[in-house]
Amino acid sequence: MSTTRQRRGFAAVIIPAALALLVLGAVAVTGCGSDSSSGGGASPAASASSGPITVTDGSGQTVTLKQPATRIVSLAPANTEIAYAVGAGDKMVAGTSYDDYPAAAKSLPKIGDFANPNVEKIASFNPDLVLAAGGIQAGLRSKLEKLGMQVYVVDPKTYDGVMTEIANVGQLAGSTEQAQQVADTMQKAKDDVQAKVASLSRPATFLEIYSKPLMTAGGDTFIDDMITLAGGSNLGATAGSGFPTFSTEVLFKNDPDVYIADSGSMSEPGDISKRAGFADLTAVKDGHVYVIADNIIARPGPRLAEGLQELVKMIHPEASSAQ
Amino acid sequence: MTRLARTSGWPGIALAGGIFVACLLVSLAFGPVSLSLGEVWRFVTTGPVQGDLPNAIFWQIRLPRVLLACLVGAELAVAGVILQDLFLNPLTDPYVTGVSSGAALGATIGIVLHLSNLPWMAVLALIGGFATLGVVWMAARRRGRIDIFVLLLAGVTISYLASAVVTVLMIRANQDMHAIVYWLMGSFSGRGWQEVEIALVAVPFMIAPLFFAREMDILLQGEKRALELGVEVERTKRILLVTAGVLTAIAVSVSGIIGFVGLVVPHIVRLLVGPGHRSLLPVSLLVGASLMGVADLLSRTVIAPNEIPVGVVTTFVGAPLFVYLLRRGRKG
Repeated sequence: MSTTRQRRGFAAVIIPAALALLVLGAVAVTGCGSDSSSGGGASPAASASSGPITVTDGSGQTVTLKQPATRIVSLAPANTEIAYAVGAGDKMVAGTSYDDYPAAAKSLPKIGDFANPNVEKIASFNPDLVLAAGGIQAGLRSKLEKLGMQVYVVDPKTYDGVMTEIANVGQLAGSTEQAQQVADTMQKAKDDVQAKVASLSRPATFLEIYSKPLMTAGGDTFIDDMITLAGGSNLGATAGSGFPTFSTEVLFKNDPDVYIADSGSMSEPGDISKRAGFADLTAVKDGHVYVIADNIIARPGPRLAEGLQELVKMIHPEASSAQ
Repeated sequence: MTRLARTSGWPGIALAGGIFVACLLVSLAFGPVSLSLGEVWRFVTTGPVQGDLPNAIFWQIRLPRVLLACLVGAELAVAGVILQDLFLNPLTDPYVTGVSSGAALGATIGIVLHLSNLPWMAVLALIGGFATLGVVWMAARRRGRIDIFVLLLAGVTISYLASAVVTVLMIRANQDMHAIVYWLMGSFSGRGWQEVEIALVAVPFMIAPLFFAREMDILLQGEKRALELGVEVERTKRILLVTAGVLTAIAVSVSGIIGFVGLVVPHIVRLLVGPGHRSLLPVSLLVGASLMGVADLLSRTVIAPNEIPVGVVTTFVGAPLFVYLLRRGRKG
């Protein structure tokens, strides 16, 4: 009897463990999926040059630094990108093994992978600011704070939320101006795109996060926000929040005008038009099937501006060619 | 009812067949886009048509998925019967021989090598499953005979080893973690005719055990008794073990790891038709197919457009049924 119970170790141990890792992984790639309320609230704090800096992070908590951070540890690739973009790259002391952008981030010391950030390792760098992500990493916060570290949680739910987070990280790192420039660039990309699509119809757009099983971006994600900004109507918003599974039959029933598959670390969509039955989809027949790199759409960092511009080319090719 | 079914298997088989046909039709008719039976009939008779979306939903998405679920359910149920009765252990299920863990390892290697969009996944899972079976087999072979006890232990051990390697791969190749996790959870989502073709290969292996029904009945009384009664015990065990291994490997290779059906369907059927294999095998096959078909129907409809993992549904559907039958069986 006991042997059979042991054998169940495979299903009973692997699958829950794997599920836990999966949740972590989803956060790793997208930085999304937390249960916290909203994107970071902008709180214009005292000038970065003198006095304490106070901002509200993505989980709604207040983070106060006595002076700008000089030793930053990032626990997510998006956070690393933000830190480098605001000009705090030279203050970065460690990142995650997922970090791949910018190139300089690859050679940073690692605190482990995103799913298993090693608390001892984080502490060993003696950071004065830890940039964590939402979701499961929120539980990490109290541990790190007990060890005397300041933790800022980057957890945006919208494109604007990402800009706010970038501005906040810029303040904490003492590079308010450069952060503002990054946010301005993102704002400009948004304004340009909005101007292009303002008068256009909203094609039904399906964004595939993963193919087996079919998964999409739900209504409360910044990906949904970006599809809307780019002048599309996100079919995935009908399936709930986060990154829900989506029935293939419902996909066919709704027959989207545009089909965009996310590609990169977590998904290889392959040849979408060759999938069974897909040849009959309007998006396939009209040639509106696209693949987008997940780094520029699913990572809440400065490169979302690129992602937004790519999305508008896919959802409204006519608007882009008119330029 | 039990006694009646034991004396003559046909009423039970016919009833199970009727239930299966009903489940098949319901599974084909219902979905996010529901069809009447007349429409199902029309689609079946017209065949696949290019450029017609409802037709594509039926022929390219729903039909292969329903067939695959039924095939996998049948495969796991038959493998469950064989293994429970060979091991004389009621807690045995098709995953006990290590075949499923080996198949999972093969599939994981496929995912890590980024072969996931090709039939390679199924091929690697099959190779993994068969390789595991081979290793377990060699471990259990003593002077020309298979020691069932050693086989069980070796299977469990190999299972652990394979799952440890899967875990290592998952952590090393953490970029592919999602794919591995979803594969391990088991699902029929996104499966098409290619997977059905692979699952169909198992059909002869589902039928083969029927020819050993008498031997399996006698083996229930122990190997020694079976030898006395003139059963070629070693040959029978070899054939049945390989058959169960092939069934499990094929099922796992197209659907991932779906629990409960292989463990509980044989028990449910034993309670209904008794332990005689002439009825037990075909009825289990049909009940396994029906249960998996209905479970997948629920998995794709209950919270549409989202899907519930089918393994969760098989448990939710099967567990109450099983408990009810256990209690009823005890009273009777």
